[in-house]
Amino acid sequence: MPDLRIEATVNGRTIKRSAKPHQRLLDFLRDDLNLTGNKEGCGAGECGTCSVFVNGTLMKSCLLPVAKVQGAVIESVEALTATGELSVLQKAFHKAGASQCGFCIPGMVMAATAALRANPFADREEIKERLGGNICRCTGYQKIFDAVELARDVQNGRLPASALDEVDTEDGVIGKKVRRIDTPSKVSGRLKYAADMTMPGMLHVQVLRSPHPHARIVSIDTSAAAAMDGVEGVITSDDVPGEDGFGVFVNDQPIMARGKVRYVGEAIAAVAAVDPLTAKRAAAAIKIDYELLPAVFDPFEAMRPGAPVLHDYAPDNITKHIPIRVGDVEKGFAQSDLVVEETYTTQPIEHAYLEPEAGLAYVDHDGVVTIVAPDQNITHHRHMLARIIAKPISKVRLIMSPVGGGFGGKEDMIYQGMLALLAMKTQRPVRLVFTREESIVSTAKRHPSRTTLRMGLVRDGRILASHMTMVCDGGAYGLSTEGVMRKGAILGAGPYAIPNVRVDTYGIYTNNTPSGAFRSFGALQTEFATESHLDICAERLGLDPFEIRRVNAMRDGALTHTKQKLGSVSLLRTLDAAEQASGWERGAPNSRGARRKDLNRDDIRPPCALGARFAGVSKQEAAE
Amino acid sequence: MARKRGRGMAACWYGIARTAVVDRAAAWAEIDDGGSAKIVTGVTEIGEGILTVLAQIAAHEMGVKPEHVVIGDNDTARAPEASHAGASRQTYMIGNAVALASREARKRLVDVMAEVWDVPPQQIGTGNGEIWAENTNHRISMGEAVSTAKNRGVVPVGSATFGTDTTGLHPVDGAGRPWQAYVFGAQVAEVEVDTVTGEVQVLGIWAAHDVGRAVNPQGVEGQIEGAVVQALGQALMEDYKLDNGRTTTSGFAKYILPTALDVPRVNSIIVEDPDPLGPLGVKGVGEPAMVPTIPAIMNAIYDAVGVRITSLPATPEKVLMAIREKEKQERQIVAEAAE
Repeated sequence: MPDLRIEATVNGRTIKRSAKPHQRLLDFLRDDLNLTGNKEGCGAGECGTCSVFVNGTLMKSCLLPVAKVQGAVIESVEALTATGELSVLQKAFHKAGASQCGFCIPGMVMAATAALRANPFADREEIKERLGGNICRCTGYQKIFDAVELARDVQNGRLPASALDEVDTEDGVIGKKVRRIDTPSKVSGRLKYAADMTMPGMLHVQVLRSPHPHARIVSIDTSAAAAMDGVEGVITSDDVPGEDGFGVFVNDQPIMARGKVRYVGEAIAAVAAVDPLTAKRAAAAIKIDYELLPAVFDPFEAMRPGAPVLHDYAPDNITKHIPIRVGDVEKGFAQSDLVVEETYTTQPIEHAYLEPEAGLAYVDHDGVVTIVAPDQNITHHRHMLARIIAKPISKVRLIMSPVGGGFGGKEDMIYQGMLALLAMKTQRPVRLVFTREESIVSTAKRHPSRTTLRMGLVRDGRILASHMTMVCDGGAYGLSTEGVMRKGAILGAGPYAIPNVRVDTYGIYTNNTPSGAFRSFGALQTEFATESHLDICAERLGLDPFEIRRVNAMRDGALTHTKQKLGSVSLLRTLDAAEQASGWERGAPNSRGARRKDLNRDDIRPPCALGARFAGVSKQEAAE
Repeated sequence: MARKRGRGMAACWYGIARTAVVDRAAAWAEIDDGGSAKIVTGVTEIGEGILTVLAQIAAHEMGVKPEHVVIGDNDTARAPEASHAGASRQTYMIGNAVALASREARKRLVDVMAEVWDVPPQQIGTGNGEIWAENTNHRISMGEAVSTAKNRGVVPVGSATFGTDTTGLHPVDGAGRPWQAYVFGAQVAEVEVDTVTGEVQVLGIWAAHDVGRAVNPQGVEGQIEGAVVQALGQALMEDYKLDNGRTTTSGFAKYILPTALDVPRVNSIIVEDPDPLGPLGVKGVGEPAMVPTIPAIMNAIYDAVGVRITSLPATPEKVLMAIREKEKQERQIVAEAAE
């Protein structure tokens, strides 16, 4: 198809230039006009990071073919600071602390601007509805609502403009709500994340991924891809000069599949080409012969003798087992008045940071292989990369680009190795930007778990014994599994003084998407079991949930389940604080639901009744 | 009533910094020309606000204004190791390293001014961009003091490293000292359960967390609010699904995340039990704040409608099925009693 000729007004300027028919408005703004303030979070109109105004209407620019904006008036986030100053709304985001990683924020600011344009007096519930198409993964939205309400009140004169100013920090700065120093760059879209960065002569990378969960790679033929016009380099595991393998605890994962693939989405080869389309076409031209292997998708099946083995070093498929032993649980159960057993399961969870993985790499003038990426652990990655590419550590450099959310998911060196190898092979800067689908398919999840907990208590609520076994699906590679098992085991029995404890946590290899680090790992799974269990036991014993925890709470100087002597223990203070703040009504679980009347506190939100506001309006209109 | 409300609670504990290994972080500090300050450390701002926290700590320790602190961050060729962003460790590990480095830089400047003013160094005060000697008329700007120091051949710099006294776990019984700082917390959840659809709405969360010492209370609240909402996602809706190793949830149309309409009001209560081992008393909050939310919600669902969800997520289908099952069992009990 021939190029398009686009004429439009963008941020007040008339633009006349050619564009490719396959380009979306987002590509046109970011790639052609260098307006990188609005981000690509999902490419499917679901997250809102790309929100812009088209003829004054909020639109998701990832869904709009550029041909559709012929003659339109377009405003990207950069338009909000056309005067050189942050808008009232942007200042309110700064004051309220509404931005964390910042990746969703340009789109969120656009949606909030649209909300207050549509109704300058919108209340908090209406603001929520109007922001419903924009996802934020960091903030929990609270401070975003606060910011929009603050901006509304300043715009309406209900609050003075000085409400947006910095708090006074004259008397020292620790303990003060100092405004975040990075927020102006985030609300304005000026902060450059890795996918916003370019370098002269930069090539674009496309990764070829496994369609099979478990298969031997018989052969890889890259010749057709390498011969394509515009392709500057193709790599496979044959291009790794050093000792291949990365991981957080065990280096069991090759940069690209070596000999066999172990999960769907595993990288096998990568191409660097002059533009993303060429790279994509070349990757599709790589021919791979597979010999399918039996696969295992359930950790309990994987532990059985004769199950398919993923890694030679672990013939039982056990990545890690962590035991904790205190006293004798059987003796504790024998002395108990009540013994309760239950099994708890948790599902795999996607980090869903709004910024998909992205990175640049180049070899600098001193021969230093340099990676720029939103990387949660550049120290460790530099060590591993040096070994993998067989260079001294001084010849490997990692630079952290702004991280658009991580939550543990960017601790794994899942793509940096491919970038390094392609920069070395082509001797040109290379950039890799994951699509959302690629990010979801190929990177780690929170460990799904199955935890069986048996607890023995006496009538006053004291726990005499806690026996917990957790089995987690670690997926195809080790990543952080060992650490997850350790944390889950250490903390699993909870912050309670228990004379007899037995905990075993097992991380297991399967052919599922690898599990890895995710905020609160291990503890989230095991403490979910223990804290649910305590309520079951409290009901059986007729105890209030706070009470059963107080009876068992570790106190100052307590010994932990790993026999560590603690100093000050603040558990009772936090229990008191939560109980008082919530206005807790005492009683055993399931004593309140049916009969409680003390609702409508001002520290809860009203239940969401989507569209009710509009129903109310139409009734009113009908009455008039 | 088709909609029933309930409340539940849960407690948590958590260790701060790397688990069962020795953790460490380093920082360099300089009180720079004009009374600004420079901190260089391998910190990773992943959105929690650590750069602002470090600027506050440096400003506090060196007596400059936080907006005059410049932070050189994570670059393995330019900054000292501060290790990774995770384990709720950055304020604890890097915050303490920055405090110690800042104190050393300040001492260099204070020693020069003590000599110039002929007073003991303990008599020198710093704050808000100024330096002075107590009980005298000596008071100048930090910028002037830096210039004075440099004219005497002294650049006020400092460096520091902060490490933990921790051990691995015994391979048989797990005994060991995995962390040197522990935090505790408790949360209450209020939910409304629709007994016709099974839908659960979380209306309020009260979250009390010990953070050691809150450097920036707004940042602490932000961490708690974000953690609660991520946990709510796992509690009620998020589910990465696989079918023979292939995901069926490869986009946000299928992988459902909490939006503005799903989130409760989060009431954060900051408890401060200072860490005695670090110079600042700070601990951490990023991860622990996520831990009690899910059981608190499940316990609240039980309180509202008497069904115990042990398998996450508590989707409307799952909750509704549990309610129907409970009603069936209750009818059977009534029928059996009538016979």
